[in-house]
Amino acid sequence: MTKIKAIIIEDEELGRELIKNYLKDNDEIEIIAECENGFEGIKTIQDLKPDLVFLDIQMPKLNGFELLEILDEKPEIIFTTAYNQYAIQAFELNAVDYLLKPFSKERLIEALTKALNRIKSHQPPGKNMNKLSQQPLDKILERVVVKSNHKIHVIPVEKIRYLEAQDDYVMIYTFEGKHLKQATMKYFEQHLDPGDFMRVHRSYIIRLDQVVQLEPYGKDNYVAKLKDGPAVRISKSGFKNLKEKLNF
Amino acid sequence: MLNPIFKNKQFLIAFVLIWVVICILHTFILIYFYNFGLATSISESLVFNTLFAALGIGIWYPVYFTDIEKNKVVNFLTNHLAAASLAVGLWLWISYMVLTTAFSDNAEYIESLDSSLPWRVGLGFLFYVLIGSNYYLLIYYQNFKDKLLREAELKALVKESELTSLKFQINPHFLFNSLNSISSLSMVSPEKTQDMVTNLSDFLRYSLSHKDETMTTFEKELRNIDRYLTIEKIRFGKRLNVEKDIGGNCIAYYLPGLILQPLMENAVKYGIYESIEQSNIFITAKCSDNLLEVTIKNEYDPNFVSKKGEGIGLRNVTSRMKIQYGRDDLIKISRNKNSFMITLLFPQNI
Repeated sequence: MTKIKAIIIEDEELGRELIKNYLKDNDEIEIIAECENGFEGIKTIQDLKPDLVFLDIQMPKLNGFELLEILDEKPEIIFTTAYNQYAIQAFELNAVDYLLKPFSKERLIEALTKALNRIKSHQPPGKNMNKLSQQPLDKILERVVVKSNHKIHVIPVEKIRYLEAQDDYVMIYTFEGKHLKQATMKYFEQHLDPGDFMRVHRSYIIRLDQVVQLEPYGKDNYVAKLKDGPAVRISKSGFKNLKEKLNF
Repeated sequence: MLNPIFKNKQFLIAFVLIWVVICILHTFILIYFYNFGLATSISESLVFNTLFAALGIGIWYPVYFTDIEKNKVVNFLTNHLAAASLAVGLWLWISYMVLTTAFSDNAEYIESLDSSLPWRVGLGFLFYVLIGSNYYLLIYYQNFKDKLLREAELKALVKESELTSLKFQINPHFLFNSLNSISSLSMVSPEKTQDMVTNLSDFLRYSLSHKDETMTTFEKELRNIDRYLTIEKIRFGKRLNVEKDIGGNCIAYYLPGLILQPLMENAVKYGIYESIEQSNIFITAKCSDNLLEVTIKNEYDPNFVSKKGEGIGLRNVTSRMKIQYGRDDLIKISRNKNSFMITLLFPQNI
């Protein structure tokens, strides 16, 4: 019987040591790599294609959920964290298990058994991950992760100027450039700070402090001129809300 | 309900003294202006004045039961008019009975008593008004004092509860992560486990015991921060680097207990949790005659850490400083491109 291949993604050395120690005499699993942060984790998953990942949630630069968000092929996931508030989100992502630190060896083996059953029955892992993974850790989004040409960009929300709907994608215009992300406008509307951003049109969300001028456009339409050039269309109700918010 | 004169010894003495003075005056007026004999003068003065003094104690009751605010003006006046008529009537009836009986052989005196009746009626009502007003004054003075006392109590209570709600609370995630490290250490390097457990216990003990004590020395605070940083150092290894520069005798200065802890946790959260490489935290302290100045600075990566979230920790520290010292100019915050710096000023001898 071949051992299943697993990696540990965890920023604390002692956290990694704990899992390795718990599993060192287990002959069903082999730890093939350890990663100290999310970026390293993504690269390792893509290179080594493990069956199972022990994934911490709070990590520098790229947290566990953000990491999953940009993975195309997802292995089975066992979350390990000190935070209990992300459990629902984790199970919505079809995670195998959610281990609260500190956890016992028995609890880890229990999670491992569940993972082994899944892997052996060849269930495709994380069927509905894509749809549901899009939940920021906190109610208000602080950064957005996008992937383009195998490069990962982490965009702090402060750098976003406006968003434009493009079919199943959203184009994110920042002060430095633009990035395409698979997401819905509704997701951004719900998770961007309403003090800073506003949905002004079916296809546009804008950063409020970027608006320079509002102008009528055609019969029932308006456009908002933004700093340094670009203009976006505004709906009738969007115009009303915007005028109220900005005291124009 | 009890007459305040009997509740307070000083009031009783004052009341008696005033009537003694009135008695003496009364006696002198009779002797010098009306040429009455000494015995007659003293007798009249004593009879009239002791009797009114006794009645005066009773005037407390109509005053007590006729609250100015709860009664209409008409009711108030009728109540007091009735009470005053009764008191004055009783006073004069008894006094005249006693004096006419005592001096029945002194026709001249009896006549002067009769002719002075209208004046005495007037004097009786005047006494009633004066005593009544004084009782009202006493009631108001007492209410006013009670109110001040209640307000002061309330203020102290509000301050206390505000401070309690702002007190540093142990972060459960820090605790669980530390316990996870201990769990791991016990297998990886058992010899280090004991240090970690001791450090964590001391940190918890200090944090829990400081709930009801407000001020403490900078030395104790620093020692607790060291424990905290030692624990985090075990978790984060070389990622966490701390540089300290504490001026000469600053450690003897005083500051509110655990006020620096939330700031240290912020520095670690935004500086170290979000960093892959080594990140530095600087703690500096300077002190002069009556001021301790502590600065905590951490580096952070602006591309990954939102500038918005300094969160509840910082807000609580700001409010605590304001309540503790009654000033809001004791905190300075400065943000650089990739560092965050907060300075707290602690006035001494307050």
